Amino acid sequence: MRKHLFLLIILMVSIIPLWVGCGSLEMKHPSQPVTLDLWHNYGGQLKNTMDEMIDEFNETTGAEQGIIINVTSISGSATLHEKLTMAANGDPGAPDLPDITTAYPKTALSLADKGLLVDLRDHFTPQELSAYIPEFLQEGRMQDDSLYVFPTAKSTEVLFVNTTIFNRFARETGASMDDLHTFEGIARTAALYYDWTDQQTPEVAGDGKAFFLPDSLFNYSLMGVIQLGSEFIRDDRIDTATPEFRKVWDYYYKLAVLGQAAIFDGYATDLAKTGDIVCSIGSTAGVSFFSPTVTYADNTSEPAELAILPYPIFEGGKKTAVQRGAGMSVIKSSPEKAQAAAVFLKWFTSPENNLRFVSSTGYLPVTEAAFGDLMSQEIEHTSDHNIRKLLQTCPLMEEDYEFYIPPLFEGIDQLQIRYESQFRDTASQSRDSYLDSLASSDSRSAYEAVSADAYQNFVDKLAGK
Amino acid sequence: MPLGIRLFLLLLVLVITIMLGVIAILIITGTFTAGVSESEKLVENELNHAAAEISQQYGELSVQTIEFSKQLSQNIEKTAQQLGVPIAKLEEHPDRLEEIIAAQFDQAYFSLQKSKSTGVFFILDATVNPRLNNANYSRAGLYLKNMEPNIISASTPNIIVFRGFPSIGRINSLSLDTQWKMEFDVRQAPYYHLPMEAARLHQELPLSRLYYWTPATTLPDTSDEVMICSVPLIDSQGNVFGVCGFDVSGMFFKLSHMPHQTVFNRLFCVLAPQTGSTLNLNQSMVSGGYSVRNIIQSNSPLIIKENKRSFYSYRQSNNSAFWGLHTPVRLYPEGSAFANEKWLAAVLIPEEDLVASVAKLNVLLISLLSILVLLGIGASLFISQRFLRPISKGLEIIKSDDLSRAPLTKVPEIDDLISYLATHNQELYESAREKNFSISILDEFVNNTDKLSPSERSVYNLYAQGYTAKEIADSLFLSINTIKTHTKHIYTKLNINSREELLLYVNLLEEISNYQESIADGVEPPENSSEKPTAVDCLPPFTQ
Repeated sequence: MRKHLFLLIILMVSIIPLWVGCGSLEMKHPSQPVTLDLWHNYGGQLKNTMDEMIDEFNETTGAEQGIIINVTSISGSATLHEKLTMAANGDPGAPDLPDITTAYPKTALSLADKGLLVDLRDHFTPQELSAYIPEFLQEGRMQDDSLYVFPTAKSTEVLFVNTTIFNRFARETGASMDDLHTFEGIARTAALYYDWTDQQTPEVAGDGKAFFLPDSLFNYSLMGVIQLGSEFIRDDRIDTATPEFRKVWDYYYKLAVLGQAAIFDGYATDLAKTGDIVCSIGSTAGVSFFSPTVTYADNTSEPAELAILPYPIFEGGKKTAVQRGAGMSVIKSSPEKAQAAAVFLKWFTSPENNLRFVSSTGYLPVTEAAFGDLMSQEIEHTSDHNIRKLLQTCPLMEEDYEFYIPPLFEGIDQLQIRYESQFRDTASQSRDSYLDSLASSDSRSAYEAVSADAYQNFVDKLAGK
Repeated sequence: MPLGIRLFLLLLVLVITIMLGVIAILIITGTFTAGVSESEKLVENELNHAAAEISQQYGELSVQTIEFSKQLSQNIEKTAQQLGVPIAKLEEHPDRLEEIIAAQFDQAYFSLQKSKSTGVFFILDATVNPRLNNANYSRAGLYLKNMEPNIISASTPNIIVFRGFPSIGRINSLSLDTQWKMEFDVRQAPYYHLPMEAARLHQELPLSRLYYWTPATTLPDTSDEVMICSVPLIDSQGNVFGVCGFDVSGMFFKLSHMPHQTVFNRLFCVLAPQTGSTLNLNQSMVSGGYSVRNIIQSNSPLIIKENKRSFYSYRQSNNSAFWGLHTPVRLYPEGSAFANEKWLAAVLIPEEDLVASVAKLNVLLISLLSILVLLGIGASLFISQRFLRPISKGLEIIKSDDLSRAPLTKVPEIDDLISYLATHNQELYESAREKNFSISILDEFVNNTDKLSPSERSVYNLYAQGYTAKEIADSLFLSINTIKTHTKHIYTKLNINSREELLLYVNLLEEISNYQESIADGVEPPENSSEKPTAVDCLPPFTQ
């Protein structure tokens, strides 16, 4: 009897703490939810969609499983990259890292190097991962094949054309939209557009307007060289010695110096808002950043219709376009948070939810299922004309184009910034010189004079000579 | 009812009484409602902290707005004079607006960087194109937004142009906001109209009494909620020619005043305009882990109700309910043109979260009490059984044959009783043994009488009646020698030696017979009993 009593007491003493502590043991219970701070770069019009989806998650799956997503930062992707880097380095004044963040592979790589990211392979079964488009998953794999960036919404680059302006221009000049499928065709059209706009004000000579701007000169150069069958990056450096690179470089340089392409340190949508360009290459996700109106200097405005064409190619080149778009990374903290983050990612990328996000933002879905019939259905229900056009273009590209994953190595971020700024500076200086030279020589001679040493100067400067 | 059950019930009553006492003490000391009290303390601390921070932030920003207005008014007046434009006739010189506005960029930019705000703006009472249809509500100005006010040393530009000439952005390498427009649409812009009207109405009031905080609002064609502090722009002649100010975005407020969510994950803080006893969430800034989007969309205010003992309740008509506390926040000084605008800071918890928290604590308490009651019942059962065991054992021992060799129960009283009974039994045994000895001789004597022949029995009977040998010879008509022979056989068979010894046995048997009759309470022996009383019959009952 005494022995039984002793056992009984031991049992009771053991049960009480379990009973008391059951709240903490049950990591995901609605009454004891896990709160995950989320940073994302879906600002502007994308913010509303993101807010709605997060609220829906919090009210449904989140409420059932005790997970609350709390957005604590909405920044542009460049700012987000800087914030994450500052936070990871523990810089003074830097905020604490969130639990989930949208991150480009280059950002994730620096975080992963510091051991700050969760390997998401631990939270997804191989079967679950097989539902995602392999190339999109591949972009998030780094180091020893760890999955540090989970694809949530990817993008590629396309050509945006303001058809309100283009059609007016085409009616008078005979320009054709078909020409815009190749870079060479764009160059011909840009020259035509410059002349046409110059003629609008006969009293002012040489005030033609730029037609075209690639959002990212780095991606433009990368894809141009790849399309032409060469390599842009070799041994973690830009290979400027290939004829393909020279061709791609010359293309933009010439258009820029002649004023037919814009030289601008910012997004092309800025210039599109004021009618300062007609077409631009940019991320599909940029579609929502195009203003529905164009506002001119006298504050008059007109509606801006947008056409979305596949990424242009150099004549004779392969149909290749860059694969872009941030995924989501989970910052290491506790197993409960990592598990909760995985639940959110699964919900967010389920075909229905993913398409809902995609259909109002211009991103590409990330699962095979979402790319198929579901996407066709979604296109029909999308009220935004621009996004509908985009969703019609993307499957065509998915069919005809090869998506290229940009190389990832330490320092690519700085290399990209340096390349773009030096390319712009070179073009800008040459443009100024060209305009000066026009007073004393014709256009062809002026261009030949300013461009003679420009390429070599650029290459030397990039090489740090 | 067995003694064990009686004892168990007694102990059970004791256990239940103690538990009821404990529960009574817990109720009196308020332990069952301690969860509410603790939560109230937590919310009160959060509220004090949040209200102090909000007052400080908004106070500082109000002062900066006034300073900004003073300097900007002077600078604009100076620039306009240099361009030959009278400030009172700005609208007549739309072609000069871009220059005038662009000249103020530096001041606006640095004021924004210095302030704890997410945007700086100024609006002039003029439009760049008076010929347009929207000219009567389109106003020129500049609105710069700081997308990351919390990051001090950022290499990427976080300041963008939200409203204003695009050239200003391009010259200064600032992007245009996604929702950029060249001019302000002032149709529904209290931040524009109210301070200007107040300044024109109360010309005697200084700028410090003319600034105005708009309730949280979403500017046309935008998605971010902001609160705007605006103050009139007044030239040296007292002409009101526009407004300027700062904004606080919803996200900035959220990050600046995030309550500590150690206990309640969905605790949230609001800064809201107060109308009577209602609080309007769709004009509020909100910070915390609760999404009020749905509540805001329903566009129904929260009705504040005071409770007698603790939290206030904040209930919406569609039954969304919160519990929490609030305190007034002074956004305006005494004598302000907008002193009637009441604001309050509140810290709220969704009702279901508070209920769940208190219920959890009480379930825990009740569980512990239940465990204690169960332990009490178990202990009562155990103690009652342990208590009775030596008594049962004692009884077993008492019932056993040999008390003297019984083991000790280790209960002194029972051991004493057993010891006493053992001694007493021994005495009885000794006495019985003695009686048994004599009785056994009588038994033997009685048994031997059965060996007598009929002739010898006749002689024996007469001896028993007191006859002598001679009287027996006469009575039986036998010779004295025959009688002597019978007597000799009788003595031999009955194992006696004399007539006196025989008479002693006979007398003893008669006494025993008399004793038996007396203890039988006068019950007559059965009629057919021809047997003689035996020594065994005469023995006391306890020896059987």
